[in-house]
Amino acid sequence: MSLIFLKNIYKIYNVGGEEVRALDGVDLTIKENEYLAIMGPSGSGKSTLMNMVGCLDTPSSGDYEFEGEKVHNMDDNQLASIRNRKIGFVFQTFNLLPKATAQHNVEIPLVYANIKREKRLKIASDALASVGLDDRMHHKPNELSGGQRQRVAIARALVNNPSLILADEPTGNLDSKSGQEIMNIFDTLHQNGNTIVLVTHEDSIASHANRTIRLFDGKIIEDVTK
Amino acid sequence: MFSLFIENIKISVSSVLSNMTRSLLTALGVVIGILAVTLMGTLISGLDQSFEKSMEFLGKDVLYIRKFQWFGNKDWWEIRNRPNIQTKHSETIRNKSQYAKYVAPVAEWWTSVKKGDENVSGVRVSGTTEEFAMITIAEVDKGRFFSRAENRSGARVAIIGKDISDALFQDKNSLGERIRIGSYNFRVIGEMEKQGKFLGMFSLDNQVIIPIGAHQRLFSRRGWTGINVKVDEADLDNATEELTALMRQVRRLRPSDEDNFAINRQDPFKEQYAMIKIAIGGTGLFITILSLIVGGIGIANIMFVSVKERTKEIGTRKALGATSKMILFQFLMESIIICLFGGLIGLGLAYGGSLIINSFFPSEMPFGLALAALGLSMIVGIVSGLAPSYKAAKLNPIDALRYE
Repeated sequence: MSLIFLKNIYKIYNVGGEEVRALDGVDLTIKENEYLAIMGPSGSGKSTLMNMVGCLDTPSSGDYEFEGEKVHNMDDNQLASIRNRKIGFVFQTFNLLPKATAQHNVEIPLVYANIKREKRLKIASDALASVGLDDRMHHKPNELSGGQRQRVAIARALVNNPSLILADEPTGNLDSKSGQEIMNIFDTLHQNGNTIVLVTHEDSIASHANRTIRLFDGKIIEDVTK
Repeated sequence: MFSLFIENIKISVSSVLSNMTRSLLTALGVVIGILAVTLMGTLISGLDQSFEKSMEFLGKDVLYIRKFQWFGNKDWWEIRNRPNIQTKHSETIRNKSQYAKYVAPVAEWWTSVKKGDENVSGVRVSGTTEEFAMITIAEVDKGRFFSRAENRSGARVAIIGKDISDALFQDKNSLGERIRIGSYNFRVIGEMEKQGKFLGMFSLDNQVIIPIGAHQRLFSRRGWTGINVKVDEADLDNATEELTALMRQVRRLRPSDEDNFAINRQDPFKEQYAMIKIAIGGTGLFITILSLIVGGIGIANIMFVSVKERTKEIGTRKALGATSKMILFQFLMESIIICLFGGLIGLGLAYGGSLIINSFFPSEMPFGLALAALGLSMIVGIVSGLAPSYKAAKLNPIDALRYE
């Protein structure tokens, strides 16, 4: 069964009276437990596609179904709910709350899912343990290394048992060693049955995925499955 | 939803605490506003208490025949040339008035009172008759008032006020003891109960009461004199008219002459007091509203800054599933917390201030007002936080995430 189904997706912006087609008729199907890398130069529409897949944005036209739910005509609250329940985000800049501990950062999606505190703490510590940070639970982001911060972010992406993990240049701000560690975690997550979508411009990162699509001028110009 | 609510409070408190200086400065307007409104309330409540007590002392059913109008607008030299009230007219009033229930002439003089080495100066020495006891609201606490016979014979007996008994006798028994009033010996036969200050100005307990005969013989007749008349409360207006007529008759005034005396009662005090209260209340309210408006603008401003600073956080929170409403509540809560924080500081300062006011006259911070003040600061928080919070809630998550 397909997890994500995009059909004839257009995203059109009006910049200074000129029509810009960030996505120009994209068809994309992602199956469960797929490990997909989205590649393309800047301005190719790769970020727009990622935002679309991540339910942060809605298409100008076209159909988008996520696990059979029609995303393209959802309102903001429904989008927030689907992001909260079904998608785990990992950002290039980690996006942790600087004043909160690792545990609290990981808890946040559960707060928005309205889960009780004791249960939240338990799930959050389990998630941190699964990325090897059981001993950094009560550290704040500025007390952690870059790699550790990104691991906290991955733990945060995992707490709601998402159907999809969406990572935007997850190693972009890391040294190669930490980057390698992060990619190993993604590989493990994939082996455990998770569906992963990576946005990257590095071939070495994309090589971890078993399917790669390339975008150019808002169109998918290449779709290769290993 | 409840756990989110608690979470929002936690986020807000930690955000306020981590920007302590900024929060304090921001909340200053609210602090001043709340301080002004509660201090004003405390002041008015204290004034009310003190005023009520003072009015009790005057009594609502007593008319005071005096040389001066208590709240007159006559030129002072005109009043100054009026003849003094003669205490002997009290007999005429008693005999002729149909409204007067009790009539007591009062003559006052100020001198020192001594007992051994103890000395109290500036004591009000009131000479009056035994009927005074029926007119005044104050009770004799220990001993007794002087009798008609003692008054007639001009006996040298005195009823002393609480200040005098405290100063001269402390805890010892004063009854039967001799004291010197001015340079004359008197025997203490009674103590008046504590009456406190009149309108917070002078102590009503710093006095001795003696028979008027003795007063007139021993002390100068130049002190002021008057006649106190107790009537039925319902008859106040009629009695005023009657007494005016009687006094005009006694003074042999022609119909064309103006009154050269005054019949006073407590009402004008109340009118004056109501005006003072309006003035205090109005000033307090003005300061409160002004500082709350200015404070509110300051809070709105700092909230806009806070939203701007945390744009990326807002984007992240939205990506993680926060709805616009949740973001709105988060920032609204923060603004409310800042205001409540200011409100609590204001209340704390006001409590300190109320203790200071209390040292001048008895007063307490009204509890209801304190609650209302906190409610008011919450409202300021909501009103001034609304626009910034709305702005935060409406942020597009993609733009917010991209914001550096």
